[in-house]
Amino acid sequence: MNLLEVLTNPNAFFAAKLQDAMSLRVPALLVLISGLISGSAAYMITGITLEMLQGTLPPEAQSIAATVGGVSAFVGAVLFSLLLWVIYTAVFFGISALFKGEGDFKRTLEFVGYGYIPIIIGGIISAILIYNFVATAQPPHVTDPAALAEVIAQWITSNPTFQLAPVIGILFMLWAANIWIFGLKHARNLSTKHAAITVGIPIAVYILYSVWQLGVLW
Amino acid sequence: MRSRTLALLLVLSLSLVLLAGTASAQETAEPKSSIMVSSYHVSPEVLMQKDIGTITVTVKNMELLESVKIKEASLIDRDLKVLSKPYVNIGSLGPGESLTLSFTIQAGFEDGIFYPKLLVDAEAAENVRYQIPVKVESTSLAMGLHALPEEIVKDDRAHLELLVGNSRPNTVTGVKIVTADEQVIPSEVFLGALPSDESTVAEFEYTPQSTGTQTIHFVLEFRNGDNRHVTTLDVPLTVTESKKSAELILTGIEVEPLLEPSGYKITGDINNAGLEEARSVVMKVGEAAGIAAIDPYKTYFVGLLDPDDFSSFELDIAVEGDVTTVPLLIEYKDEDGNLFSQVEYVSIEHREQAQNPDELPLPLIGALVVIAVFVVGMIVYSWKKR
Repeated sequence: MNLLEVLTNPNAFFAAKLQDAMSLRVPALLVLISGLISGSAAYMITGITLEMLQGTLPPEAQSIAATVGGVSAFVGAVLFSLLLWVIYTAVFFGISALFKGEGDFKRTLEFVGYGYIPIIIGGIISAILIYNFVATAQPPHVTDPAALAEVIAQWITSNPTFQLAPVIGILFMLWAANIWIFGLKHARNLSTKHAAITVGIPIAVYILYSVWQLGVLW
Repeated sequence: MRSRTLALLLVLSLSLVLLAGTASAQETAEPKSSIMVSSYHVSPEVLMQKDIGTITVTVKNMELLESVKIKEASLIDRDLKVLSKPYVNIGSLGPGESLTLSFTIQAGFEDGIFYPKLLVDAEAAENVRYQIPVKVESTSLAMGLHALPEEIVKDDRAHLELLVGNSRPNTVTGVKIVTADEQVIPSEVFLGALPSDESTVAEFEYTPQSTGTQTIHFVLEFRNGDNRHVTTLDVPLTVTESKKSAELILTGIEVEPLLEPSGYKITGDINNAGLEEARSVVMKVGEAAGIAAIDPYKTYFVGLLDPDDFSSFELDIAVEGDVTTVPLLIEYKDEDGNLFSQVEYVSIEHREQAQNPDELPLPLIGALVVIAVFVVGMIVYSWKKR
């Protein structure tokens, strides 16, 4: 079974996968790759944020803060991706239970993990945009945390990179949701309609939250 | 015949004796008094051409018993101009008394010794005709550069000395040297009286503000008697840049944006590449349109910069419009307290202007559309394959 078939014909992919023994190796790897990409983006954002605060710390402390902060952000993002994988699965598992879904949690976890392929593609594009922003940005030096928040808010609401990254994230999340619909359908033995509702509710919440963050709803 | 000749000779002899007796009798009857010029004084002692001076003459009655009535006293000369009028009906001069008469004269356009004549017309006395020597010499005072430094450096104080000599035969007074040059202090040096064949030195401090050949115009003023005279001296001086003075240069300039709108932080190092120390070094933002210094570093005090030493600095500015260069004003003093200033220009690059969501670059919009079409296409395709 070609892994790319999950993108082109997820229904057939999961139907066939259901016949195989459960294995979390590939899904976990996919989620880990997604986490590493998110971690890289978090590392870059943390670096530029600490650069803005360089006037508030001694040079030695600044260097330590940059290293510790960057690594912490990276590790945190990786771990959060893995945690989010479990949370998504748990939410899908719970909602699908309302539709009398049947199937193992581990199988659900496995199929949700395959849905991370579009998120990896979207993550790579977002990371490239963020790298481009960090490489060309001239961050101001601030001493006040309130001022720092103001700068970040200004970036989020006005910078093209920060405008595009969530939009791309939403697009690829929709693609992932599409895969998850077929994954849940087979993993939890749901009708297509119930699988779409199961996936649609949390994804709709996620998208609304992302749009709210963009400031469109302000 | 012989007797007639003798008789004629006798008559003639008698006639001569009688005539002589008559003359002797007349002299004895109208004796004339004696007056004389006892002294005179010319002021100034030596006149210059067109100078006005005075001749003071003392006339004395030399008689011991009789007074003399002086009718008129005058001074005349062809070369010197006598400005005062003759004395008329002066009055009687008692026995042994003196009378002082003053006459105002003016020298002509020639040097030399002139002899105006004093005429005193007295009643029952001998008239006096007396020549008074008056010397006219137009030699002026001499002024020249006495001492100056080997090298005159811009913005550095130079000590100048002018020598004033009096080659005239008389003392002049009120000698002073004046200059209108603002770079020279003092603007006036008073030297007072200067006797004949003597000299004196006037000292000035010169602080040139520019390089090249600079000419200082000095004016020497003095009085000969009551007559004011002026002579000038132009002193050309070559002013150069100092070879040892502090030389401040900026390196490692970095311009970083601040949070404030159009705010920038300029940091870097200021180095002293000269051979002398720079004191009280202060850095400021120069005056230019669209540029304003802002807190917390409107100015930056560096302080003392030794030769081959450096210090870091920071200045904060806010710019308006299309400002691309910022003038930085550096002020410092030398060990004498002379203030120096220089301007260095720093280029700034405008930060990327924040764009509104509506102002997304077209390539990004295109890429977003392509991605959206691709994702939707993949989703639709997956449903068709179902």
